[in-house]
Amino acid sequence: MGNRVFALLLAAGLAIVGCGTGGGNAPTGSTSKHGDKLTVAIGIDPDNLDPAAQTTTTAQQIVDMMAEALVSIDSKGNTIPLLATSWTNSPDGLSYTFTLRTGIKFTDGTAFDAKAVKFSLDRLLSPETFKAQKGVLNVISQVDAVDDTHAKFTLKSQFPAFVAAMTQTVAAIVSPASVNVPPNTPKQIQQPIGTGPYKFSERQAGDHITMVKNSDYWGTKPNYDTQIYKIVPEATSRETLVKSGQADVIMLPPANDLPALRNDPNLRVIMSQSDRTIQMVINTVDQVVPNLQKKEVRQALNYAVDKDAIIKNVMFGAAVPLEGPMSKTLAGSCPTGSYGYDVNKAKQMLQANGAAGMKVRLISPTGRYVQDFPVAQAVAGYLREAGLVVEGPATSDWPSYVSGIVLATPEKQAQKTDLHLLGWAPAYLDASQQFEQFYSLRAAPKGQESSYYKNPQVDALIEKGNSDPVASTRNKTYCDAAKIVWDDAPWIFLYNQKLPLVTTSKVTGITGVPNEKFNTVYAAPA
Amino acid sequence: MLTYVAGRLLLAVPTLLGVATIVFMLVRLLPGDPAAVMAGPQATDADIEVLRHQFNLDQPPLQQYGGFLLRLLEGNLGISTRSGHTVAEEILTRAPYTIQLAVLATLLATVIGVTLGILAATRPNTKLDVAISATSVFGISMPVYWLGLMLIVIFSIKLHELHLGGLPAAGASDWSGFVLPTTTLALFSIGLVARMTRGSMLEVLGLDYVRTARAKGANRRTVLLKHALRNAMLPVVTAVSLQFGALLGGAVLTETVFSWPGIGRLLVDSIFSRDYPVVQGVVLVLSVTFIAVNLLTDLLYAYIDPRIRYD
Amino acid sequence: MTTPPSADITAGLAGTGSVDAGAAGLTSSGRAWQRLRGHRSARFGVAVLLLYVIATIVLPLVIHYDPNRNNLSQAFLPPEGGHLLGTDELGRDELLRLALAARFTLFVGVAAVAIGLAVGLPLGAASGYFGGWIDLLIQRLTDILLAFPGILLALALVAALGPGLKNVIISVGITSIPGFIRLTRASALSIRELPYVEAGRALGVASWKIVLRHIIPNSLAPVIVQATLQLGFAILVAAGLGFLGLGVQPPTPEWGSMLGLSRNYIFSDQALVTFPGLAIFGAVLAFNLLGDGLRDALDPRMK
Repeated sequence: MGNRVFALLLAAGLAIVGCGTGGGNAPTGSTSKHGDKLTVAIGIDPDNLDPAAQTTTTAQQIVDMMAEALVSIDSKGNTIPLLATSWTNSPDGLSYTFTLRTGIKFTDGTAFDAKAVKFSLDRLLSPETFKAQKGVLNVISQVDAVDDTHAKFTLKSQFPAFVAAMTQTVAAIVSPASVNVPPNTPKQIQQPIGTGPYKFSERQAGDHITMVKNSDYWGTKPNYDTQIYKIVPEATSRETLVKSGQADVIMLPPANDLPALRNDPNLRVIMSQSDRTIQMVINTVDQVVPNLQKKEVRQALNYAVDKDAIIKNVMFGAAVPLEGPMSKTLAGSCPTGSYGYDVNKAKQMLQANGAAGMKVRLISPTGRYVQDFPVAQAVAGYLREAGLVVEGPATSDWPSYVSGIVLATPEKQAQKTDLHLLGWAPAYLDASQQFEQFYSLRAAPKGQESSYYKNPQVDALIEKGNSDPVASTRNKTYCDAAKIVWDDAPWIFLYNQKLPLVTTSKVTGITGVPNEKFNTVYAAPA
Repeated sequence: MLTYVAGRLLLAVPTLLGVATIVFMLVRLLPGDPAAVMAGPQATDADIEVLRHQFNLDQPPLQQYGGFLLRLLEGNLGISTRSGHTVAEEILTRAPYTIQLAVLATLLATVIGVTLGILAATRPNTKLDVAISATSVFGISMPVYWLGLMLIVIFSIKLHELHLGGLPAAGASDWSGFVLPTTTLALFSIGLVARMTRGSMLEVLGLDYVRTARAKGANRRTVLLKHALRNAMLPVVTAVSLQFGALLGGAVLTETVFSWPGIGRLLVDSIFSRDYPVVQGVVLVLSVTFIAVNLLTDLLYAYIDPRIRYD
Repeated sequence: MTTPPSADITAGLAGTGSVDAGAAGLTSSGRAWQRLRGHRSARFGVAVLLLYVIATIVLPLVIHYDPNRNNLSQAFLPPEGGHLLGTDELGRDELLRLALAARFTLFVGVAAVAIGLAVGLPLGAASGYFGGWIDLLIQRLTDILLAFPGILLALALVAALGPGLKNVIISVGITSIPGFIRLTRASALSIRELPYVEAGRALGVASWKIVLRHIIPNSLAPVIVQATLQLGFAILVAAGLGFLGLGVQPPTPEWGSMLGLSRNYIFSDQALVTFPGLAIFGAVLAFNLLGDGLRDALDPRMK
């Protein structure tokens, strides 16, 4: 029981804010070419660079370059060694001991050892640390430095996903001495000092973060002497920068320019597959529009929306269709069917269920996901085609969206809207993470299941799958659950989003990671 | 003169106090529990308590207000809920970018605006005058956010197609990055300054002593520069200070369009992330700057024209 | 020097500082009307505004597309064929949406200025007429409101109240108040010294009657000028809020938010960025030109 709850907490705390896992600086090729400066333009301005306080993937990816965790995650979602070489679990499942890599130094010259591990994790768990995102790692009751090379974690309860959870950026190890060097304070780190391939050089808030190569890095050394992450919130400005060569890499160009960018011989478009699904979440216990409580009505809404046209015309190809209630990148996913666009069928189903011409309200965030608001507008248009009276889409800033819609009680949500656009990105690539969204015990406001969908059969299957150690039977169980979910249609299933990146043809070695980060550490001049 | 300066300074006190009061009330206008709203969705009860304490929301209103003013006097604007840095620190790291932009735009607007205004005033009702007047009214009617986008279109697409050299950079790390934001920001001010200069020059040129000077056969240029312009400078000074206010407001929009890391964009970002201490801080700093500029203008005014007395 | 140079940011927008109060009253309205008709830029302003009004009434009747109905296969059409200005990212007729947006934009402008008038006129009149501590109080209030440069006060208020049509009107309305206070106060000051007003006072006519019958009607000329210019400013600010995503919320068509939401299309479909901005520019320009014309007509001493 405890395991599952914590595993669920892990996803719940993180998935919605697009949080992923840490580490993962392993080189993908053996290209070794020297470069002076790599400029990367991103759209998000990190709130701060304290590893313990990271919530958004793009900021995490920057921190990951400077501070590493004990373990990392590979592109298939497997947990792999990083600062730890191996780990053991006690028979009672309540303690884990990590064997640490030796001879590594932090970029301030102090030695990496078990004391630093204890210090960093204690700091994460301390209520004194500003905005520490301990999340599921709250399961840790005690950290001990057994000797210089062994760190032991004692847990409050069993938690099989513990090692996977230790891949997160928040579990990165920082130099204990560095927190007392201004501007850092024990309460907040402004300039992270870790063991990473790059080290902090300079930050101008709102404009850029500069990192320089760690020439003493213990692993494969990176190619560029300096990497500058420029903060450029306007997508078109980022595009201008990469077109003119003032940036080597940008994330998220304006989606509508993707076709033209693909045809530009000086540029390369990388469509990094993400694990994020985008859906129009239906309030399945809606009191204002009780018709939405009917499965057939919700299915009708799925038939009413032309997903392929949206992917082509609104997403400009930056997405793939869904074949089930989760991304295909997740372990345990399986194809469950498709709701092919059929407006007549939708109309018939609505008619048959007394829902013809019903009125629904829609809301969507703006600028949170690729083309989110235009997609919501398109969905609203299709629902109108099916004869519904659609109010919206309305939009709202993200904090009030989360508190007022996603984390609201069913009644509060129904006061504001009937359908809301949401993206969900599992923290690690496992179906259990997606089922957070269909497990009734995680219904908002306790969890983040904002459709309030409840099917006891699905709940039972999820619980069975989550506690099943055998992959094959576990996946089968998940697949059965997914089929029921697909049929019950608590969402209008839209698509699996991609993360578009653009690089100039002068750069290679930029790789996408399925958890919506991308890796520039081993970028190399072409 | 000294009484005037003292009086003028004294008059600024209630204004400053009023601005502080409005800024104070902003947070209290938030619907529901302001602390919970500010803390955001993922906040724990402890986070909310911290904010409640930081904003003294747990105290009686009058005490909250008193505490707020006292901390302002100490220069304490609070802590950003987003970054954990002090608001003063947030603003100070961003302010140089806004100041650079504002100063450059003011210089541009003053030089071009005054020149255009004089040209128009000395050739009233000619084609040149009409053209300059039209340009001025275009300038003050132009939405800066649109102008910025149009300039990006023209410079980065059209000129690129014509191979007229490199694209202007976005961001402040490069000299060329200043060109478009400064131009965008300055256009409104150019219009304003040109109009006011023309108006006051026309007025002065019609005055007796100028006409007398002319009648006495004084050189046209001497009349213009020595008599007319000097007297027309007063309203021009006013115009420059007025445009500075518009410019500070316009910076919010211009910085957003150009991804410029100044305090205008900081304000917009903070509104969206509900970082109210920073919202309060930026609004306060921009307003106090404006009050200070106006005060300086008034004093300059009194210095230029000793007839003015505070009464 | 009753008015420091820092006064009247809004009138400053008009270009010639504050409008001279106590100028020609409505008695000379016939001549003023003639002057206005002969004023070239005012005629242009009126023509543009008429065009907007006609467009917002007629176009929705003659363009047979649903303004909120998407047609993705018709997205980003160039200006030709059945769509005079092309279609937007969802295949909606751009011209129709612009025409409908004019309603909201003009409504926001008029409503905000109405708030400014409703609050500003009585306060200004009282300030000038009564003088003393009332004057002092109201003048300091005006100073405070004027201390927030440009769009800042509206922005700060919307940040606290939240976005949406109502809050935008309130915020922009409050921003319009101080300009009207200044103007009415100035006329009240000059009018209260006029012999017949003094006589009325001596005879014990109630103050509110004097304010209502003499002060406010006599301030009308500069107030009309100010209101016209203020309309342009209100539209500029409201659209600016919309551009930032803090104004009237989509899918309600509004020029500022249309411009803000189409920012990503500047490289692929420039029409979507050009036209909403042009619409805002046109409306503000029209009000500014008309305001200039009105000032010249109502007060020939000003140039």
